[in-house]
Amino acid sequence: MLLRTEVRAPATASPDYGYYRRGGERRLAVIEFLNPVLFGGLFAVSAPIIIHLLHRRKIKQVDWGAMRFLLEMMAKRRRRLFLDELLLLLVRTLIIAAIAIAMLRPALNRRNVQAGASGLARQGRTAAVLLIDDSVSASAGRAQPAFESMKKLALAYLESLAPGDEVSVVQMSQLGATASDPIFDLEGVKSSVANLKPGYVATDIPALLDAGLSQLKRHINPGAELVLVTDGRKDGWRPDDKVRWDELRERLRGPNNAVPGTRQRPSVILLSPAGAGIDDNLAITSILMDRTLVSAGRPATARVVVANFGKQASRAATVQLSVNGQIVGTKQVSVPAGGELESAFPCTFPTPGSYGLEAALVNHQDLLPADDRRALSLQVESSVPVLLVDGQVSQGLETKLGFLEYALDPEREERGPFKVTRIPITQLRPSLLQENRVVVLGDARVLEPAMVDALERFVVGGGGVLVGLGPDTDRELVNRYWARNGEGFLPCPLANALTPPKPAIPTVISLVHPVFSGFGARNDEAWKAAKVRSYFKLDLKSVKSPDLDPLLKMDNDDVLVAERRRGLGLVTLVATSLNADWTELPVQAAFVPLMRGIVGRLGSFVTPPRNLQPGEQIIYARVKDPTRAMQGEDPAGKPLALAAGAWEGRDAIVSEPLLTPGIYTLHDPNEPGPIRCAVALAPAESALAPVTDREIAQAFDRQPGIFHSAEQVAANLDPARRQSAELWRWLLVGALGFIFLETLMTRREAAGSARGEPRLNPAINSRQ
Amino acid sequence: MSLLQTVQQEVIERLGNLSITARQAVESVLAGQHRSVRRGLSVEFAGHREYQPGDDLRHLDWLVWARSDRYDVRQYEEETKLRATIILDTSGSMGYGSARQSKLEYARALAAALGFLMIRQSDAVGLVTCDTAIRQFLPPSSTMGQYLNILSVLESAAAGNETSLAAVLNDIAERITRRGLVILVTDAFDDPKAFLNAVQYLRYRKQEVWLFQVLDPQEQVFPFKGMIEFVGLENEPRLKLDGDRVRAHYRSVFEEHQRQIKSGCHAARVQLQTCWTDEELSSVLIRALTSP
Repeated sequence: MLLRTEVRAPATASPDYGYYRRGGERRLAVIEFLNPVLFGGLFAVSAPIIIHLLHRRKIKQVDWGAMRFLLEMMAKRRRRLFLDELLLLLVRTLIIAAIAIAMLRPALNRRNVQAGASGLARQGRTAAVLLIDDSVSASAGRAQPAFESMKKLALAYLESLAPGDEVSVVQMSQLGATASDPIFDLEGVKSSVANLKPGYVATDIPALLDAGLSQLKRHINPGAELVLVTDGRKDGWRPDDKVRWDELRERLRGPNNAVPGTRQRPSVILLSPAGAGIDDNLAITSILMDRTLVSAGRPATARVVVANFGKQASRAATVQLSVNGQIVGTKQVSVPAGGELESAFPCTFPTPGSYGLEAALVNHQDLLPADDRRALSLQVESSVPVLLVDGQVSQGLETKLGFLEYALDPEREERGPFKVTRIPITQLRPSLLQENRVVVLGDARVLEPAMVDALERFVVGGGGVLVGLGPDTDRELVNRYWARNGEGFLPCPLANALTPPKPAIPTVISLVHPVFSGFGARNDEAWKAAKVRSYFKLDLKSVKSPDLDPLLKMDNDDVLVAERRRGLGLVTLVATSLNADWTELPVQAAFVPLMRGIVGRLGSFVTPPRNLQPGEQIIYARVKDPTRAMQGEDPAGKPLALAAGAWEGRDAIVSEPLLTPGIYTLHDPNEPGPIRCAVALAPAESALAPVTDREIAQAFDRQPGIFHSAEQVAANLDPARRQSAELWRWLLVGALGFIFLETLMTRREAAGSARGEPRLNPAINSRQ
Repeated sequence: MSLLQTVQQEVIERLGNLSITARQAVESVLAGQHRSVRRGLSVEFAGHREYQPGDDLRHLDWLVWARSDRYDVRQYEEETKLRATIILDTSGSMGYGSARQSKLEYARALAAALGFLMIRQSDAVGLVTCDTAIRQFLPPSSTMGQYLNILSVLESAAAGNETSLAAVLNDIAERITRRGLVILVTDAFDDPKAFLNAVQYLRYRKQEVWLFQVLDPQEQVFPFKGMIEFVGLENEPRLKLDGDRVRAHYRSVFEEHQRQIKSGCHAARVQLQTCWTDEELSSVLIRALTSP
């Protein structure tokens, strides 16, 4: 609660309300109440007046003979009596007012407005929220980790605070945890800050600032400071996320009339160690399989990507890959500056089950050791159940999905990676979705509303859906019920059906996409004969979602295949038919690897996910006998805390948040083998390029206070330079003074009354 | 209890033969124990004077009338009786009373007692009741019938109007032509300056003046607490006051008034007796009649 007061300044007083000038600086005087919840107490001020009025209403009537003396007295002392009464009432009211206002804890701030705008002004008692970027990148450093320098800066900042200031500490690794109340014990805060250690989470500066603003609401002191302690790594600032930064800037700016440095428009202070940002780092950024669906007993290749984030080519390093703790190969790599290198490791997984792959740079000294290892959880299947829903009730290749069925399971012996079931659309029931990992709709005309609802839930829960169109597709129905303006399970709405005069030729947009892993070097030739005669133009522009990903386009730039994540699942939309009605694709060689790639990707999603980031929890949905106890181990072999939970309406086991990267193991007595989950760092954390002060200023839309050393902090945030004070002490002193004055007045009145006390014997008095 | 019973109880039983003694010679047409300085109707002939309405026709000198056709009355030098006039203030303020009786009731009893004492020693007593004007006037007489008339007037006296004693006293001073005793029974809640001037005028007219100031104890104490609406008995404007807060101021005004009355009476050689309504009437009478 703010109250601006006009301050009488010397001759240079500014006409601006609440502002004045001193020594050429524009200053602002603000009274802020730190305890506004007690504003109702001000009503107590009216108590003496009410009592006075009630007292006046309780009037007793007396017939009085000696009126002439009263009239004479009133003629002489009416004004005096009135003033006495008014003064006494005023004094009593002021006593209560002073106490009531003191309880509101008013603080008078006199600030340099320009300094406040830059975020450096100190405003009386400070509410400080320390935002500690304890991401994995903070552990990088040559002589010592950057995090140690960050802690020194944070401690220097805490030294600049004074008793009465309150502090909250928000850590990047603790975002989402229950917020705690601010504390006034500065020594305790210093001790806890000194004991902080960097975690393995990814940096997200906008999220950290957002949490700081929320935490600031729990503070009561008038001066508000968001103190961001970071290693100054550029990627953590998420400069491309303009939407979040726009919202954040809006919140930091507050209302138009917000006073700089208050909770409505807090000061932002950035503490970043000098020289933060190390641009010399070799990291394993990913482990990829050469196919989306890995089948038991079939050869597969694991590709380990090593990236050099430095400015110089790395020395030769050894990449080692192990599967379930067994080393399966090592490779020597030397990565050019700013580049990345892929190392292939052939692997065969003999039985279906959960595997843990871990790649590491061995015999390698690095400035950021945390990203020299990387883990991947891989689910190896014997076959993926796929449900083909044919829009046509017939058998053979001439149906809508006949080609697809042969492409996925040509021998129909269920020995391949896909276990295919084809049904006509008339037999589709919601219950069938639970038995399959992938559902393919082939030129389906109509779906029951309940079925549409079931499909949406199937996708959100982690299922995969492939939608093929065709001449029977009713665009209106599809857009209305399946797409629902981008809210349905379809990736995007459909525009008109097109039949170009010249058939279109498909073109792969990005060969690195897992869908195209089966094409290899013959990619271009594979598509030349796959002519598309007719197709639906996809209305991609109407869906503003980063999850929408075009995979295949045509030579006329219209998109042929697009996928979109929906919840935990994935939906792929093919703009033409999956049979030969509208395209030559099904009878071309590219059709088989394309379809196997798409369906394999759709069926490869393991839900709940087992490849996690630091801070996330393992969720394991149990299918069989949920009453049997499960056990878990962390990468160091220590027991993992597990608790009963739920996932999508099913019983589930939920672990504690996983803080350390590596392979975590769960033992389900109902399963033949262990379940392995992997925690891997965000690849972006390995990029240690520093953010510049200019980029920071652009991000904030104003210049925050940036300090790179403890000396700068001490020089700019000296507690002795505060220009404000809480007023409650003065108010209580004033209240005591008023009480003393009231006592004097009432004693004087009582003395006057005592002179008029009844005589024991009036006659005797009179004679005397 | 009737006024007569009060007088009998208070005066006869407690005072016995206590008598009123004039401090100076008073003029009286009747023989008494007071030495007269004026011509009377007794043994030694002192001369004639012109007939005045009210003179007894038996004292007309018919010989003078026969000789000169003038109405003259024969006068003799002789010892006279006391001629007293009791003036009872019946203004509204006299109606106040916090004790068992109001000031007026107390004053009526006091006037009756004084009248009885004087009648009993054959002095002539008259009675005037007044507020802003003279309401009843009984010329002095020493007969027992006069006393009964006095009692009758006192019984019927009621408090009501405003106080304007000064004007009334001036009027009475004009009416009383002979020297005598004027007994004022009042609370003296009037303008002290005008009141004392009127008393001085009575003294100028050769009247000895006794002032019995009848007061209620609460009028001095002012014991009221909290907010009080004071309603005047003489049509004054009402006042809403905090009794605790105005007590001291009231007391100072009241005492200043009393001081003025006291000093004024002392200067005019007027015997002042302050009577409190919670005080025994006999005590007041003893105090008054035995004072030097």
